[in-house]
Order: sequence, then structure tokens, then C-alpha cells
Amino acid sequence: MIPRQRSTFSAIVDRPPLELPGRARIVVWTIVNLEYWSISRPMARQVLPAPTGQVLLPDLPNWAWHEYGMRVGVWRFFELFRRLGIRPTLSINARVCEEYERVAAAARDAGWEFMGHAWEQMPIHKVDDQAAMIAKSLAVLERFAGTRIRGWLGPGLTETYETPELLAGAGIEYLGDWVYDDEPTEIRTKRGPLVTLPYSVELNDIPMMLVQHHESRYFAERCIDSFERLYQEGAERAKIMAIAIHPYISGQPHRIKYLETVYDHIGRYAGVLHWNGAEILDWYNAARAGR
Amino acid sequence: MSDRKTPVVLPTERLDYSPIAGRRPLHLPDGARMAVWVIVNVEEWDPREPMPRTVLTPPAGGAPMPDIPNWAWHEYGNRVGFWRMLEVLDEERVRAVLAINGSAIARYRPIAQAALDRGWEFIGHGFSQKNMQKVADERLDIRKTAAAIRGVTGRSPRGWLGPGLTETWETPDLLVEEGYDYVCDWVLDDEPVWLKTRTRPIVNLPYTQECNDVAMMLIQHHKAGEYYDRAIDQFAQIHRDAARSARIMALVVHPYIMGAPHRLKYFHDALVHIRAHKDVLFWTGEEILDWFVRADGAES
Repeated sequence: MIPRQRSTFSAIVDRPPLELPGRARIVVWTIVNLEYWSISRPMARQVLPAPTGQVLLPDLPNWAWHEYGMRVGVWRFFELFRRLGIRPTLSINARVCEEYERVAAAARDAGWEFMGHAWEQMPIHKVDDQAAMIAKSLAVLERFAGTRIRGWLGPGLTETYETPELLAGAGIEYLGDWVYDDEPTEIRTKRGPLVTLPYSVELNDIPMMLVQHHESRYFAERCIDSFERLYQEGAERAKIMAIAIHPYISGQPHRIKYLETVYDHIGRYAGVLHWNGAEILDWYNAARAGR
Repeated sequence: MSDRKTPVVLPTERLDYSPIAGRRPLHLPDGARMAVWVIVNVEEWDPREPMPRTVLTPPAGGAPMPDIPNWAWHEYGNRVGFWRMLEVLDEERVRAVLAINGSAIARYRPIAQAALDRGWEFIGHGFSQKNMQKVADERLDIRKTAAAIRGVTGRSPRGWLGPGLTETWETPDLLVEEGYDYVCDWVLDDEPVWLKTRTRPIVNLPYTQECNDVAMMLIQHHKAGEYYDRAIDQFAQIHRDAARSARIMALVVHPYIMGAPHRLKYFHDALVHIRAHKDVLFWTGEEILDWFVRADGAES
């Protein structure tokens, strides 16, 4: 199915507003992405292309740059979110549970929600047997986390036309790939509906730092600008703001303080909820029942 | 059908080089120095085609199809961003120009309705968001776009902006033959100019690639605040330049770009700044066109 067969166009102003409990205005949804980059393939992202721009294998420098996130950067995240009392959603390649068990266990033990993020980091179009990959990923994550996995984010948000069917068939309830609204929405699949949650490619360190090459401090500026606008709109209509981060990017020593700045700023406002994906889903399912 | 690779008329055959300094002055009504027009571009991106622009590349590169994340990122503009932008334009009392893909009129009917309710001007922007050089039948595309606009406004559009400002050698000729009065693809002047075609001439209005969120945010990757800084600098200089003869300034926005929560205020602040000047008109394209045709005829 193509997107418009799954979801009819809807202007946000034509919908009755959703309301949050306790007259809160906005939900901040923090997503930490943990990935497995296979040294045998081209790297998912590069900070340094090889001289003359050739694609060389193995690509040791870029592999190591990402590996820094797992060895060092992610521990800055754990410290920050422990201090803030925030339990993010962990978007995790299932293979991370095997290859970086120490990191995955730290997230699990801190009570973070595990969200499916494929087996390893490659476009889902290039996976030979997508259904088997989804099943294996969910089985590994559920065994590791000890809970059912309710959400999914494609690697690089990638999907084929069949992905939503395969996810719904595997018991997934929400999807982060559809960054097309400020509210959750329901999309059709041949295996029953899925809810989309408003993940972000705007407040996301990959497009901002690796694609658009912004300065580190701009992350704080953009997140704060977004927050203030959505907070204002949240007086009339519940808003959700996702912040998507990767330990090899935002966990760098020169960037972490700008992430801290964002949460320090948000912390000055009343009526802000820090929820994970499953909490947003449960609220949305209850709220729209009364809509 | 003509061979598209053969120039029917070269750009330099459509108009002569003319330095702005030596021209007969143009004067706006009520002593205004300049006119600003705001163009809001609304597009439909076909999820079965490569996306016209992207914010996120896939892991390890390439261009796998379908490209759901970038389709969704653009769709956000029509579901959410446009409505945010509309509040700002209402608040600043700006009647904008809606440059809209013909196919987007049916797909995003509430957007067309909102523009119609406010008396915005509709201009053709290709039937779909596709390079005009790749459109199978250009005349049909131009005609279908006019028909789609007529279907909602009750009258034919007078203006045209190519998707990505693209043209074939023949585009201005076809536009005139299909009833259009102006085009905006030629960003070569601060005043409207006449372009010769194989029938009657057509006016080109000063559109912009400089104060344009696609170029600034998606290609040059500037911070959102640069939209404001650049608009203010552009405005100050054009305002100064307009002491002797009227000039036109365009501001271009796309709902999926400047309609993002973190960018909107920079667009809003730019409008507030310009609005504070009493000698500046906010006009639509056809208002600029009608003024120019009269002023140019009266003075030449």
C-alpha cells in the first residue's frame, strides 16, 4: 500500500484537540538510538570520507567514530537522564543486546522502554527476509528486556510498501517512521491498524549534525525554539515533541552540554510530561476513544 | 511536437540586457517605495517517485524506494505546518500567493479552501512537483493545472511558477498560449520585465532564490534565524535602492520548511519588521502585474 491508501489527508485544525492529564500542554518524547554497524559493510554514516572519496572496506575510522558512542558517549546519556529522572525510549538494533550487552542492560535496568529498530543498521529495503528479521529482532529484544515490544522505528526510518503489514502482523502497535504530524495518527494495514507517533527528523542529531552540518550549539537553539512554539500551541491542543539522539553524535564531549541545555530549559516550564512511546500510545488510545 | 533539445528561443532573444540604473522610473501608488509579495508553495509529492528534496539520507547512502520518511516529512507541512503559517499571515494581514501543484488542489482541499476564503491569489506550479523538462506533455500539464485552479477559484490563474523554477525552451510561449499573463522563473531583476514569446509578450515578476527557504534551509543548510537576518538585510537594501524607482521584493516559504515549529517565528518576525514600514505595499502577484502593465505603458 502507498501512504495515501493507509491514511487520508487530515488538516490538524479540522480535528478536535486531544487533552493531556493534569492540563499538561506537551509531552517530550526522548529517543536514544543504539545501533550495530557491521565492519564488513559500508558505514551507516561517515564523519570522514576516505581521501579521494573512495569507499574503502573496512572503513575503520568511521566504525571507530561510531564505536566511541557505545564505549564513552552513551554513558554521558545515562548520567544525564538519571540526574533528570527521565526514562527515554531506546530505539535499539536487536543485535546490540548481543554485541553490547553492557549498554543494553544499563538501559533496561534504568527502566527505559525498548523499541524495535531492526536487527542491525541498514536500510530495510536491503534486508532479504524482512518478516524473519522483524521476528528475530523482536524475539531477542523481548527476551532481553523481559517485556513485550510495542513500538518500532525503521533504520533511518526506512520502510518498504509491506513493512507496516509485517509489523502489525508481528504485534507491533506503534510506528515512528511517519514524521507527518504533531499528533499520533492511525494508519491502515492489511493486518489491522497501527498508530504513528510523531518522531522527529527536525530535532534529530543525524540530519542536524551529519547531514546539515550545523554547529553543536544549534541543537539547543532549535530544540528550544521548537519547544517554545509547541508549548504555546499546547494551551489549545496537546502537543508531542520528540528529541532523537545518538551516542556517537550528541554524546560527544563538545555536544553533550547543548543537550543538557535543552532539558534544563524545558525543566523551567510547568505542564510538561516526559513520556516514553508506550505511555504516549496508551494515552492516545484512551484519549481518542473519547474524541 | 518540437524537439525539446533545440532552443526555440534563447533567453537572450526573449529580452535584451538592460541595466536597472538607466531605466525610466516606476512609481507605486500613495508614495510607496516598494511592494513585497509572499509566495506560499504547496506541493504534492508522489510517494511512488523519488522525493524532490530530502532531510534524511538512508543508512550507508543510496536512494531506496519507497522513501517514506522524507515523504512524511513533507506531508507534515500540509497537515500541520501550513496551518501554523496561516495564523501568521492572518495576523500580519498578508494576502499571499498560493503557488500550488494542480494535483495538490484535490489532495489538500482544505488548504485550497483556506486560501480561497482569504482571497489569496492562486498561481500554477506544475501539475505535479516534477521538473518541467521531464513532463511528457508540457502544454497539457500547464492546461490541467489551470483547469484545477479554475475548479476551485472559478477563474483561470494569471501567474505561473515552474516546479523548482524549471522551464523548457518553450515554456513562456506555452504559458501565453494557455492564457497565463505572468511567469516568475526568471530571477534576473528587481523590477518586472517583459519576455518576448512567439505570440504576445509575457511579464516576469521578481521571484527569489535568495529569500527562499528551499535554497536557504535545504541546500545551504542555514540556521532558521538566517531566514530572518537575510530577509531584513534584503529588505533594507531594496528599500534604499527604491528611492528613485519602485522595486519588488519576494519572500518564499514552503509549509514543510518554515512551517516547522522551530522556524516559524523567524518568518513571522521578518513580516512584522517589514510591516512596520508605512511606505511598503504587500501585494499579490496580479496586483503587481496590473500595476506594472499600467505604469510601464503610461511611462514608455
